[in-house]
Amino acid sequence: MRFRRLAVLLVLLWSLLPLVWQLYTSLRTGAALVTPQPGLAGWTLENYRQILTGDPPFWRFLLNSTVVGLASTALTLSLAIPCAYGLQRQPAGTRAVISGVLLAAAVFPYVLLFLALLEVARRFGLANHLLALSLPYAGLSLPLAVLLLGAAFRDLPPELEESARLEGLNTWQRLRWVLLPLIAPASASTGLLVFLFSWNEYPIALTWISRQELLTLPIAIARIAGSSVYTVPYGAFAAATVLGSLPLLALVVIFQKPIVAGLTQGAVK
Amino acid sequence: MSGDQRPQGLVLEGLERRVGNNLVLDNLNLGVAPGECLALLGPSGCGKTTILRLIAGLDRPSAGSIHLDGVDITEQPPSRREVGMVFQSYALYPHLSVERNLSLGMELRGLPRDRVQQQISSVLELLQLTAQRRRRPAELSGGQRQRVALARALVRQPRIYLLDEPMSNLDAQLREDLRAELRLLLCGGPQPVVYVTHDQQEAMGLADRIAVLHEGRLQQIGTPRQLYQEPANLFVAGFIGRPRINVLPAEAGRIRAIRPEHLELVEEGGLEARVLVREWQGASQLLQLDTPHGRWRMVCPARLEVAESARVGWLPKRELCFEAGSGRRLAWRNTA
Repeated sequence: MRFRRLAVLLVLLWSLLPLVWQLYTSLRTGAALVTPQPGLAGWTLENYRQILTGDPPFWRFLLNSTVVGLASTALTLSLAIPCAYGLQRQPAGTRAVISGVLLAAAVFPYVLLFLALLEVARRFGLANHLLALSLPYAGLSLPLAVLLLGAAFRDLPPELEESARLEGLNTWQRLRWVLLPLIAPASASTGLLVFLFSWNEYPIALTWISRQELLTLPIAIARIAGSSVYTVPYGAFAAATVLGSLPLLALVVIFQKPIVAGLTQGAVK
Repeated sequence: MSGDQRPQGLVLEGLERRVGNNLVLDNLNLGVAPGECLALLGPSGCGKTTILRLIAGLDRPSAGSIHLDGVDITEQPPSRREVGMVFQSYALYPHLSVERNLSLGMELRGLPRDRVQQQISSVLELLQLTAQRRRRPAELSGGQRQRVALARALVRQPRIYLLDEPMSNLDAQLREDLRAELRLLLCGGPQPVVYVTHDQQEAMGLADRIAVLHEGRLQQIGTPRQLYQEPANLFVAGFIGRPRINVLPAEAGRIRAIRPEHLELVEEGGLEARVLVREWQGASQLLQLDTPHGRWRMVCPARLEVAESARVGWLPKRELCFEAGSGRRLAWRNTA
């Protein structure tokens, strides 16, 4: 029991300490980071004020990333769900081949694609369109999303859908009223993965977007760090990172319950 | 089936199903009249569930036809067949309440809401589920879930009922109680009932007629009494009747068999037997006997005193006689 607590404590320290350090840095003046200062001296909100009043203000990047994230997630799920449903109904052999190809695509290092994608963006005039970013994001997320959702569909007993067929529900109705509610937990966790990917993605966002007011978070934060040749603005950088993580924290808190509930429900049944 | 009158009920003709090279169901011909309850009985893998799935349209036959009330439904999609099916696993929608489980199909087909509600209420009342109408399947007992599955089949007012081992997940007591309930609810109405089971007691208690299947072939169809008294072949004789029938070795191309309840103690003749196990069953006792022909079973009144070694015999007219090669039954009475 004591050992377990110790282990939990170590894991928490391991994963939380960098975050706490970042939070601490974001609340200190630049001078206080270099020379320790006693008491209340050295604490400040100046870093936050600075990035939030910048041009464009920092919340603009948060909004950009949120828009791209939501669009990518929506696009991915609306394509992956029908794909996964179709895949699950293929004969076992076909399914194994398709799953193998999808797996290969899912593990492919996408950084190798970004030059080609840049060419695509130029050719079709997709550069500097925020929503256009969700096209490559959805494309890159699809293989894994289809695999995850396909597994969720396969875990459902086939009689459920057969029963719905006998009751006269067409394919769309069966999907909407019987299958989708049952794979909701898997859809939520898949959606969260896609959102995370889109939130953190760097090379494509860097090359597709150049207009300052359309930047997504990772690019914007990187620009803060590299804004001066002579100093690294640690405080502002940390403040931006903290603000950039808050929406993710909120998402996880919101979705944690349904995901865990869904998992245990499946386990008991 | 004479004249221009269309045959009512269910008629299966030359029904066959192949999966790859495997013949799952071979040339099945049978009919179920309106209100008749037919049990499909056989060991697992005999093709009985396949037959249900073919009737429901969930699988397609490789050959043959299915007629329901004179209409050829072989090519119809399952949604148009109007079958009420109860799955072995019940297949209740786990995310919906009892009420919504029953109403989903009807609502999506656009039936008026008040009519749907009215039908649901009366069915729930009939099955004593009114108190559970807002619960989800996970919050119900096994028996209640089974009744919800039944209610979902009933509420649609289908043209035929198909039940796939609906009681195999229930305990013995509940099964016995529900058997009578099921008979009252389903049988004798305007619809044919096809009931799949591997439990012969259940089949005998519930069905008007029983179809015995083995390895995808129909062995015999008849009333429980016919199957017991006049089994078509050795398989049916061995499958119907508990404890199992005693079989003598083949002799001049014939195999004779005698039911455990027809054995009796004799002074001379018959077989020499040693009592191995004595099972007391209340009014009767079941004896496991070691005889020159292997382990035999004998059922006799409980009060009968049987010594360790005894001689058992039987009346010749009780013998069943089968052809050694085909297993076909030869004659009702042994004339030798």
